[in-house]
Parts: sequence; C-alpha cells; structure tokens
Amino acid sequence: MTLPLSRRNVLGSALTLGAMQLFPGISRAQARKLVFATFTGSWEEAHRAVLVPAFKKATGQDVLLDPMLSVDQIAKVTAARNNPPIDVMLHDPGPALAAVAQGLVEPFPHAQSANYKDLIPEAQDPNGPAMFFQVVGITYNPEKIKTPPTSWADLFKPEYKGRVGITNLNSTLGTGFLVELARMHGGSEGNVEEGFKAIERLKPNLAAVAANPGALAALFQQGQIDISPGNFNAIQLLKARGVPVEFVAPKEGAIAFRTQIEIVKNTPHKELAAKLIEVALSPEVQTRLMQAPYLVVPTNSKVKLDGEIARVLVKDVAEMKKKFVFQDWAKINEHRAAWIDRFNREIKL
Amino acid sequence: MTVATAKLPSATGYSLAFATPLAAFFVLFFVAPLLLLLVVSFYTSPELKGFGLDQYAKVATDGFTLPVLFDTLWLGVQTTLLCLVLGYALAWCYVRSPGSVQRVLMIAILMPLLTSVVVRTFAWVVILGRQGIVNAVLLDLHWIQEPLKLLYTRHGLIVVLANVQLPLMALPLITALQKLDPNLEDASAALGAGALRTFWRITLPLTVPGILAGCLLTFSASITAFISQSLIGGGQMLFMPMYIYQQASSLQNWPFAAAISLVFLVAVLGCVSLFNLVGRLSQRHATAA
Repeated sequence: MTLPLSRRNVLGSALTLGAMQLFPGISRAQARKLVFATFTGSWEEAHRAVLVPAFKKATGQDVLLDPMLSVDQIAKVTAARNNPPIDVMLHDPGPALAAVAQGLVEPFPHAQSANYKDLIPEAQDPNGPAMFFQVVGITYNPEKIKTPPTSWADLFKPEYKGRVGITNLNSTLGTGFLVELARMHGGSEGNVEEGFKAIERLKPNLAAVAANPGALAALFQQGQIDISPGNFNAIQLLKARGVPVEFVAPKEGAIAFRTQIEIVKNTPHKELAAKLIEVALSPEVQTRLMQAPYLVVPTNSKVKLDGEIARVLVKDVAEMKKKFVFQDWAKINEHRAAWIDRFNREIKL
Repeated sequence: MTVATAKLPSATGYSLAFATPLAAFFVLFFVAPLLLLLVVSFYTSPELKGFGLDQYAKVATDGFTLPVLFDTLWLGVQTTLLCLVLGYALAWCYVRSPGSVQRVLMIAILMPLLTSVVVRTFAWVVILGRQGIVNAVLLDLHWIQEPLKLLYTRHGLIVVLANVQLPLMALPLITALQKLDPNLEDASAALGAGALRTFWRITLPLTVPGILAGCLLTFSASITAFISQSLIGGGQMLFMPMYIYQQASSLQNWPFAAAISLVFLVAVLGCVSLFNLVGRLSQRHATAA
C-alpha cells in the first residue's frame, strides 16, 4: 500500500493541523481533560508528583494542571462563566470566599464523600474543603540572629533596627500578619486600628516592604533582611537551596490559612472534579504530600504527623487546634479594600 | 507611460493596503480591548452594576490617585534625564570610535535587550543588596562602616531603570549622531568656535530628533516598568502599574482599575504631546538660528 501523498492531501492536513493550533477549541471542545488550577512553584511540583498519579489510579483519567495565582483563576472563570476553562480551583481563604460570593463555585457533594468527615472541623466547608494548610510564622537567619525568636513581639526589638521585612497587603501573608498584630493588641478581624499602629511602631526596624511573598523570601538570600513573617513552605524551598533560614511558630500561635479546593460552576466534569477533591482529601495522598520534600500540612485527621512538620509545627492533628490561629476571612474580606487603601497612604518608609 | 502607471503601483508612492493586516490586528487586539476598558471604567460598583462617572470622580477627589500619578510621571522624567546624560555620552563615544571598538560597543549596548527584564532586575538586586557588590567594595575600601541602603530606595530605582532602558536611549542617539555631517562641526571649529560652543550650537540642535525619540521610548518604558518598580522599589513605593494591578487583581475592583488605567494613558499621551511640541519648537529655533 502506498500513501496517497499528493500535494492536495499534504496541504489539506497541514491546514487542518494549523487550524487546530490556531483554534485549539475545535478539538478541545469535544474531549477536554479535567483541568485543576493549582498554585505555581513547589505546589505544582508536589501535585504533579503525588495528586495526578493518585487520581489516575483512582479513576483511570488524566488531570491537567494549569498553575496560576488565585486572582488569575477568578479572572479566567469570570471571563467565561458558561464555559469555564478550569474545572477545579485552588484558593487562599480570601479569594475562596470571593469566588463563592461571585457565584463561581459549585458546592462539593460532601454528603457522598468518605473523607470529608475526617477533616479537622476548621478544614470543612461545603463550598470547598481545605486540602492543606499554609502556616505563617517567623522566619529568621540563624547566622545573624543567635537567639531564636519566640513571639511576634520580637520583630519590634531595637536590635533588629533595619533588619525586618514584611509584605504589603496584596498578599494573604501581609493581610494575615496585620490582623495578627491587631489581635495581639486587642483588635480583631473587624478592627485592625491597633495593627496599623503596630506597623507604625515597627517602621524603624523595617528594611523592606516587599511587593509579594516571593520577593520577601529573595531578600533573605541577599542579606537585605534577617527576620520577617514567613510561609512555612516558602522557607523549606529556601532551605533546600542552602540559604540560612529557620522557621519558628511564635508562642501566640502560627497563622494558618486553609487552602480551599473548589469545583467551578458550569464545569463539564462535575463528577470528575468531585472525585479529584475526594482523592486530594484522602489520608494516603495527604500523608505522601506531608513527607519530604513537599512538607504540605495535612487537613485530614487520619494523617499521622511526622518529619519536619512534627518537629517545628505540631505533633498531631489534635494539637493543630491549639497551635494554629485561624482568622475569619469573611470579616477580613469586608474590610480588605479599605485596609489596602490605608496601607497605600500610610506606610511609606 | 500613463498605462503603465495605472497598472503598477508607483515605486515611490505608498499604499495603505500593505498596512491592513497590521491594522486589522490592532483593531482586534488593541482597539477593541481598549474600548472594553473604557466601558468597564463607567461602571459604578466593583460588581459591574450601574453606569456613571463615579470612578473618575473618585480619581479626582480621593487625594491619593493623582499624587501617585504625578509621582510616577516624575519618576519617568528623572529616569529619562539620567538616561539621556549616560546615553548621549555613550552614543558620542560610539560614533567617534574605530570600527572594531564600535562592534564591541554595539554588542554591549544590545546585550541588555537580549536578556529578560526579570533577569536584569534580579542582577541589580544582587548588586544593590546589603551584601551586594557596591556595599562590599565600599566596605572593603573602608569608605563606609555600615552597609548603605540602596535597594528599596528611590535613587536605587532610578539608577536601575536608567540601566534597563539605556539601549532605548542610546540607539536613536547613535543613529542621529551618525547622520550628522562631520563637516559641520569642522566648519564650526574652523570659524573659531570652541568644542563646547560647537556642541551647543551645532551637534545638540541637529540631534534633537534622536534625543526626542530616545526620551519618548525611555520615558514610556520606565513609567510602565512593573517588574523593576516592584522588585527594586519594593512594596512601600506605589507607582501606577502596581496600583492598577492591586486594584484589578487583589481587590477585583475592575471599574476603578480601568478608570485609573485610562487616566494614566491620557496623562502619558499628554506628556508625549508635550515632548513633541518641545521638539518642534526647538527645531524651529535651530533652523532660525
């Protein structure tokens, strides 16, 4: 048999291929795989290595990871509400609530879920259960700071003049830190007046107000700052690269953000999306994600904690309730725009 | 003769037909989104409800947006002036160098353009940091006792922006200086003018088109340099690009973000027209003189 390789055939195939390249919707509309918008960086690596194979094993289906920031996930889904390009979103608590408020979320069928009831109560949310916690404590450079800090109040010590870094309120980290400062001085999620006053007092110590947590972490590498509020997982990345940094949970409690996984409304893959969440909540997947090198803090109470997480954060899931501070992000979201506005105006170095 | 011209396009004439693909591209991917932006800016609430001029009223009266806008434009002016001084000197050296040196210089000028802005900016983070090259050298020479704060300062930011945008200034200046007839400068010198006088009366006025082109490019690139501004300036310095990003992304307040984007755009267009006006006036002045 010979291939009918006429010029017309070749040209026809070439045009078809070209059209498929130009308008991928033609082919994708028929058989789009489940798309999970995870976070970039180490989260993507961890999910690709653990969650994707586990989902494949459970369902025989593939899941595509399309990592992006929470706010970009919301923007993409808002732009195409009826035919969303993402099926499952991953959000920090602020954007998770915003997505629900904007009607972008399909509730998780938790009644049919075997793993949902095993989540610690703080992780349970019918709109989108938390698949892991992000924990914020104090990051410091042990080569410069010999006595490990124990409290948020240590950031204000006069010996750290010009050594402290924070981020602005664009990030969950920056906003959570402001709220925690307010709570230390009698404020709350609804009233951060004391938090702003505290940052005002912190000014002599501030070497940098970074534009985002990533830029803040990079400042440790440059020796620009020696102590700052920091995300447990971001610190592990730096440590792995040989940067001298350590993480401590302050005695007031480490700030914990639940990272919620939500089904997108109008997804063509509702069942598969629920299945992915079920797999993500399972003790097997969460145990693997908790181990090195991922060190993702689990939410399922059946996971037995060990390794670095048990060493510096919490010994077991029961201890999470005592040692983690969960903030009320519904309250925070109400005021966040005004706080960002105020931070813009007041925090000039 | 007339038949031939009717059939074939004239070699020296121009036809808009050749511009239609690009024009279509621009209409689709630039004009249409811009109009959309305009529409969004007239919504009165972040939930995209109600039409009105509320967002523009907020820009005019909140006492914060306009100072940020002027500060951003001022940053652009400062960067452009530094860039002009450095770029003119560089272009001057280039034009007066022998061919082999020119080739090396041209690679040096173009190299930054071939590197990503992120990489260039991160290199500056390493240079300006507390343990960076500048501080290390100054400490070793015992000129300073404590590391200077260079990163996250306005001066640091201006230097970095000037470096990052320098090719945009140097290239038009080189072209302008190369087009300059060396006989004019010789004539000026022969008629008794000193080097400085020749520069002020001959070289500078005749290179005004290059200066204008360079300034326009540098100015617009430095006021919109989101990455350099946020990495070197940090989170406590707010310029328009970060402000727009914050309102659009962190706060999902699209109408206000759209309004400040358009105000920013109009302000920049205003500056560009001002540049052009100054250019035309100075050229008229040069030809009159």
